[in-house]
Amino acid sequence: MTAWRTMFTYNKYAQITARALRVSLKEEERVLAEKRGLSALKYQKWENGVGGQQVLLKEEVEKKST
Amino acid sequence: MLARRSLARAVAQPAALGAAPAGARNMATLREIELRLKSVRNIEKITKSMKMIASTKLAKAQRAMLAGKEYGNANKEVFAHVPSDKPTPNKLFIVVSSDKGLCGGIHSSVSKATRRAIANVDDSPLAGASANDSTVDAASPIMVIGDKSKAQLTRVLAKNLQLTFNQIGRDIPTFADAAGVADLIVQSGVKYDSVVIVYNKFVSAISYEAAAVEVKGEEALKESNSFKVYENEDDATKDLAEFSLANAIYAALVEGHACEQSARRNAMDNASKNAKEMIGSLQMQYNRGRQAAITNELVDIITGASAL
Repeated sequence: MTAWRTMFTYNKYAQITARALRVSLKEEERVLAEKRGLSALKYQKWENGVGGQQVLLKEEVEKKST
Repeated sequence: MLARRSLARAVAQPAALGAAPAGARNMATLREIELRLKSVRNIEKITKSMKMIASTKLAKAQRAMLAGKEYGNANKEVFAHVPSDKPTPNKLFIVVSSDKGLCGGIHSSVSKATRRAIANVDDSPLAGASANDSTVDAASPIMVIGDKSKAQLTRVLAKNLQLTFNQIGRDIPTFADAAGVADLIVQSGVKYDSVVIVYNKFVSAISYEAAAVEVKGEEALKESNSFKVYENEDDATKDLAEFSLANAIYAALVEGHACEQSARRNAMDNASKNAKEMIGSLQMQYNRGRQAAITNELVDIITGASAL
């Protein structure tokens, strides 16, 4: 039941379930709901005042799932 | 006839020594004024259209903000009743701003507030909190959302930066953005006692101010006496901490977005007004210059004609 806790945080779990719900909606509602799930977030790790590479969050998600 | 004309000019010249050079100068500056006028007119068109776009975006952003604020208010309720029993100097600062410019003082307002908070100055945005909560360690980790604030803070507090985010703020921020940010923060393994989110609070359509909201971490929740009363399981407390972080980030993102649109509207409005003034004064100057050049030519022709 709570096996997901070892793999990702609660926020990730909530986003996955939200996406599952959005995909299951009827056509019109789905189109509206998809907009609420859009995110083009990019992040960058910093060490000692130097920035690392900028990584796209969605790409990482896709790499992990393939 | 040509000889007589040049003779007339030679006679005229000592009387109005400055006339010919002055006329030459006017012709050169007339061209310059014309170019400036054209460029200022183009700029005025651009700033006016940017103002229109920002006004329409502001209406939408304000509606999203009113809805998103409810998430933040629910959070605040929880954390208002959970004051820290021990001092929490190691705070993680999340600075909420955006990637685009031309919006007045939005980014510098938030960056300055962060610097004041870290320096523990009197007018720090954390000043209102209880004593345990408001003292800050100088090596507190900082995470920045938005390239503009990132650039400003790397100049001063580069060592404190841990993680930066961008591509937020192009459109209304979604909860997916906030959840992604919260997820990355928790996974980054940065240690903190509590999280302080520094953002711009929407005071009105023409003004905003930097504000800070504090979100407790998991340990702080577990140790607070007021929270222990509920006897939650550890897992549930961890989930609550993570979810309320995402909530608070979402509320700050939408409010910051609305402030940015209003600031951009005001900045472009001022720019258009200034451009209109400049166009007015340049136009006057141009007309005067043009009339002076015409008058000079007439004088030349008339003196020439009178000599015939």
